[in-house]
Amino acid sequence: MPVAASAIYFLNLRGDVLINRLYRDDVGGNMVDAFRMHIMQTKELGTCPVRQIGGCSFFYMRISNVYIVIVVSSNANVACAFKFVVEAVALFKSYFGGAFDEDAIRNNFVLIYELLDEIMDFGYPQNLSPEILKLYITQEGVRSPFSSKVPNATLQVTGAVGWRREGLAYKKNEVFLDIVESVNLLMSSKGSVLRCDVTGKILMKCFLSGMPDLKLGLNDKIGLEKESQLKNRPTKRYHGKTIELDDVTFHQCVNLTRFNSEKTVSFVPPDGEFELMKYRITEGVNLPFRVLPTIKELGRTRMEVNVKVKSVFGAKMFALGVVIKIPVPKQTAKTSFQVTSGRAKYNASIDCLVWKIRKFPGQTEPTLSAEIELISTIAEKKSWTRPPIQMEFQVPMFTASGLRVRFLKVWEKSGYNTVEWVRYITKAGSYEVRC
Amino acid sequence: MDSAATSFSSSTPSPVDYIVLLILRPIAAISFVFVFIALGWLLAWKLVLVHVPLVQEIFGLRKKPAKFKPQTRRISRYYNSINTRNSSAPGSGYPPVLVQCCHSSSIAIIKPNYSRVAISHLWSSLEPPSNRIRLLCSTFSQAMAPPAQSSRNPSPSQPSGKGEVSDLRSQLRQLAGSRAPGVDDAKRELFKKVISYMTIGIDVSSLFGEMVMCSVTPDIVLKKMCYLYVGNYAKVNPDLALLTINFLQRDCKDQDPMIRGLALRSLSSLRVANLVEYLVGPLGSGLKDNNAYVRTVAVMGALKLYHISASTCLDADFPAVLKHLMLNDSESQVVANCLSALQEIWNSESSTSEEAAREKEGLISKPFIYYLLNRLREFNEWGQCLVLELVAKYVPSDTNENFDIMNLLEDRLQHANGAVVLATIKVFLQLTLSMADVHQEVYERIKAPLLTLVSSGSPEQSYAVLSHLHLLVMRAPYLFTSDYKHFYCQYNEPSYVKKLKLEMLTAVANESNTYEIVTELCEYAANVYVAIARESIRAVGKIALQQYDVNAIVDRLLQFLEMEKDYVTAEALVLVKDLLRKYPQWSHDCIAVVGNISSKNVQEPKAKAALIWMLGEYAQDMDDAPYILESLAENWEDDAPEVRLHLLTAIMKCFFRRPPETQKALGIALAAGLSDFHQDVHDRALFYYRLLQYDVSSAERVVNPPKQAVSVFADTQSNEIKDRIFDEFNSLSIVYQKPSYMFTDKDHRGPFEFSDEIDNLTVGVESEHVVAATSVDANETSDLLLSTSEKEETRAMVANGSDYTAPFYDSSTPALPSQGQSELAITGLLGTADPGPQASTAIDDLLMGLDLTAPPAPASAPPPLKLNARAALDAGSFQRTWRELPVAISQECELGSQGAAALTSPQALLHHMQGNSIQCIASGGQSPNFKFFFFAQKAYEPSVFLVECKINTSTTKAQLNIKAEDQSTSHEFLALFQSALSRFGLS
Repeated sequence: MPVAASAIYFLNLRGDVLINRLYRDDVGGNMVDAFRMHIMQTKELGTCPVRQIGGCSFFYMRISNVYIVIVVSSNANVACAFKFVVEAVALFKSYFGGAFDEDAIRNNFVLIYELLDEIMDFGYPQNLSPEILKLYITQEGVRSPFSSKVPNATLQVTGAVGWRREGLAYKKNEVFLDIVESVNLLMSSKGSVLRCDVTGKILMKCFLSGMPDLKLGLNDKIGLEKESQLKNRPTKRYHGKTIELDDVTFHQCVNLTRFNSEKTVSFVPPDGEFELMKYRITEGVNLPFRVLPTIKELGRTRMEVNVKVKSVFGAKMFALGVVIKIPVPKQTAKTSFQVTSGRAKYNASIDCLVWKIRKFPGQTEPTLSAEIELISTIAEKKSWTRPPIQMEFQVPMFTASGLRVRFLKVWEKSGYNTVEWVRYITKAGSYEVRC
Repeated sequence: MDSAATSFSSSTPSPVDYIVLLILRPIAAISFVFVFIALGWLLAWKLVLVHVPLVQEIFGLRKKPAKFKPQTRRISRYYNSINTRNSSAPGSGYPPVLVQCCHSSSIAIIKPNYSRVAISHLWSSLEPPSNRIRLLCSTFSQAMAPPAQSSRNPSPSQPSGKGEVSDLRSQLRQLAGSRAPGVDDAKRELFKKVISYMTIGIDVSSLFGEMVMCSVTPDIVLKKMCYLYVGNYAKVNPDLALLTINFLQRDCKDQDPMIRGLALRSLSSLRVANLVEYLVGPLGSGLKDNNAYVRTVAVMGALKLYHISASTCLDADFPAVLKHLMLNDSESQVVANCLSALQEIWNSESSTSEEAAREKEGLISKPFIYYLLNRLREFNEWGQCLVLELVAKYVPSDTNENFDIMNLLEDRLQHANGAVVLATIKVFLQLTLSMADVHQEVYERIKAPLLTLVSSGSPEQSYAVLSHLHLLVMRAPYLFTSDYKHFYCQYNEPSYVKKLKLEMLTAVANESNTYEIVTELCEYAANVYVAIARESIRAVGKIALQQYDVNAIVDRLLQFLEMEKDYVTAEALVLVKDLLRKYPQWSHDCIAVVGNISSKNVQEPKAKAALIWMLGEYAQDMDDAPYILESLAENWEDDAPEVRLHLLTAIMKCFFRRPPETQKALGIALAAGLSDFHQDVHDRALFYYRLLQYDVSSAERVVNPPKQAVSVFADTQSNEIKDRIFDEFNSLSIVYQKPSYMFTDKDHRGPFEFSDEIDNLTVGVESEHVVAATSVDANETSDLLLSTSEKEETRAMVANGSDYTAPFYDSSTPALPSQGQSELAITGLLGTADPGPQASTAIDDLLMGLDLTAPPAPASAPPPLKLNARAALDAGSFQRTWRELPVAISQECELGSQGAAALTSPQALLHHMQGNSIQCIASGGQSPNFKFFFFAQKAYEPSVFLVECKINTSTTKAQLNIKAEDQSTSHEFLALFQSALSRFGLS
């Protein structure tokens, strides 16, 4: 059985119950106390998200300032349970309109109970798709789809093609396509790349009438090869870089059979915003930034830090919101810096020099040089363990993988014209450089 | 401007131009400025000033004390309506305390739990502003009060909770019969309150009757809240639950399918055994309902019924109906629910009923599986998980079928839901179990999706996936050797993820990537999180134990020892110990470093035990081993029992190698051990003591047999268990790393004990090493009834499995104390059950016997003493040794006239003695008096002899003071020394 969850609890950080929903009788009512006693009040919190207390297993997840705890008494499917929590939170968010935190829960607990009743019955997950649930659970709670206008809503409540309603109409047919990539990097102090990968996702926002059929073409290697094979026109090859995707996962709307046979991404999109696909790339990643740190410890009480950050994307592009966190020892007493661009300050609570550059043009290399004075302590013998330099950034119109959208075709019976918008953005995932 | 410019250029300005220039323009400018200023003030007023208290006070703007949430306004409206209705008694609708407050104007005491609503209403009713201010103060103080009062311990006994409940009851009663417009809103607020109390644990079951009365409403949200309430409390109020049956049954026939479904769900959630008769009818019609939503609910209802009363469910023949639905329903969700319900029902029935067992088998029959697989794409993601789980149990008849299924499911690996991907992987793995080569291909195929899942999603999700990946890596590490970089840890990852990654890094290490992995692991050793630093050091050690080329790793480990962080040192010590057990050839490098570690810096029992083990094992290589051990033995009480056990054994070992130096330590340790409160320590001490009494040489064979290098450390889990875990892929077993029966069966867990098993499992490897490292198992020594000789045999078998026919140390261990005596003593001892007092007296005897004041002549002719020609001893250790050893022999001997004549300078004698393998460490004096300090070392042992030699050339006499570590051979050494001395000057 996937998840036969016996109960779900929402707790705040103090351990007060915000929501409790018992689905089955096989766990006692004192499960929250058990969780509080054995997990929240000990140092176990955060050591492992799956714990066993007595005969019950507790899966817990912290989301902003709320713990969501699933109690299970049998040998349940862990991945499924966590996925369920994540999906449920996404559902709640779409109802609350953004934040999911203690206040939002307190203000909407009736709604949450309603939803919990629908998305899980007797411990088995049911339909979690926001599009469908919103048809018959609304914040006002007066709409009932069965009695009123939408005749085939029942089909959608339980139905197979759960992601799109019929009879949608828009004045202006628009599709927004965002390619969002996050770069994960781990670089050694000597400048060699230890680990580097890109996890990307394609987010879509569709405002299309009717039941459109979409087809997306990317410059990925397999897709291109397949295409040239099918067309039997090897001469008209795509010129430019082709990308090898390590692994791709698609939204449920994508016709996977067709992807496997023809390697094209074709789908009937849900209405509104959704995540079309996710991919992962490890080969041929263009790193947007290089960080060259030199940290010298001059005696026991002085340190010299020089960090040069080089942007290696095109000169016409620029990165936004660049934050570079340079770790310094705990016993830092005084710092003084010079930066060639942006602003820097010492943040004692995280023991870092935080260097912020709001707008960072390509092909430049600003530097930071800082002198740090340390308090000399007696227990100085332990050398400072240097945490890595961490970096945050966003580079619009740049993809670290080089992935590009070649075409996005929309077919609909009525044959209307659509406007397509494509954006690219590259963000920092965990961008770490050891020093 | 243009016209003006042209007019300027053409002629003199006209009067109109003057008017424009002198009047209109200034007016325009001034009015512009004023407008600007006015706008500025307006903006300032709107944004800032209206919020300034003083301004508010002046302009009389202050109307509301605080902003309330919109939802509470309805209730205030409600309060107002009550107020107008009961105008005869103002404020009679309020809780008594508040009313009191109003009337007496003493507002400072307001119960903290009273809601803002009441306060807001009070505000409007309080006319004199001074009262308003007081109310404000009390509201603030209430807000500032510690939250503990308000919500931390919401127990039913809390008086405020009770007050609230009775308050709610009266309000519900008022609303129950009312049909006024807007009453639903008021009801909704009240219901919300009731449910929020229910959530935080206040017992509101006493409102059951009122709630049921209020539930007659067309409003669906109200219904839902009411159903939730009823479902929660029906169990404790079975009699009252009967009240609800009526309206629930009516709702089950409602024309709105939504209401039908909801009512059916609540009806089946009542969980009251004597009400099931009312459930069967609605369920039966629900299963046949033409609306799919009702059917999905009804299917689950049937399962709920089964759990309340299995016989009722079976009698109504619901399983058959469910089966029919499962095979024919057009809705996938209905099918999925039928599947989960039937699985549960037949699983628990199959043990008693043969038919259910057959049906259970039928679920994994070919037609049924194919039916589900063909409909797989209709199911939502959770339904797919369910189906795939079932498919994994299916055994195809031939390989073609295998491949068909796999081809069909291949695209599921691209599904966005990680649970579906994992379920698909399970199917693949199970299907190919018997086909080794395909199985391997499957691993290759599933690698990419798994790695993607790991790197996406929340840490908890990736933990769940990582545990599965961990299992696969452990099963086939060689397939993942090139992917090791994926297991590098990120700085901010939670420790549970890091821990799994470290284990995987360890597993995938091979010849090609060891260097990179170990470098990476060494980075983690400096991690801020001590636990991870420890893990990574252990990982380095494990890699060292796996690989043949340990050279570089040993260096790294030794660097760890020099990092001077106690936990790093501690872990590294344990590792070095393990390493030495496997690769004794590294002992020289390691011992040199280990010798420098002061035992005072090592606090952790495990590390201390490891250090002590090394001291005992390599006592001959570490000069001051006996003295360290002695000082440790003196602080006996400070250490953990584990350390004491090791200390006993180490001192024993050391004793057999360097008896004179260790003798004192042994005495202390045995005495302390015999009076130890810890059973194992006591028993081991007693065991050693008796062993020594019985026969010292056999004791040595027991305690100090030649060690064989350990080739493979024991695996913690048997293969059978591993396979079982693998069969339960995609479940909790993987995370806990043990098969499900261990944590779901009632026999395998205590009531409510905190699970430490997970920790034990992971550290189990280490603890096993420690136990294996000592050649004596504590439990076995505890059996006092066994005779020593028997024990020796068991030990011999346990210890190493090697025979003792050619003990290496035989030559150097001539008989120690008189054996006859000890035998007598030991037979005496064995006869008594309580060895306490006798033991302590006997130990004195033993130690007396050991004190070699009068060493008995060896029974057999001892082999001639050989000395090490290149013995080395530094001045420091000489001095220490000299100070610590007793004088074994003090004798005067004749130097001879030639010798006296030749001794013109000390150097002459030094060279001569060096030729006889006796080294000089210091010499001095002038003719006729010379003084020398000599030392010599046994050829095959570290045991040394120290000699103080005073020579008077005028009397040709030499005064010798000999100290020996191995006292048994000091006489032979004396003879040797004398003969060497007498030959001086002859050549």
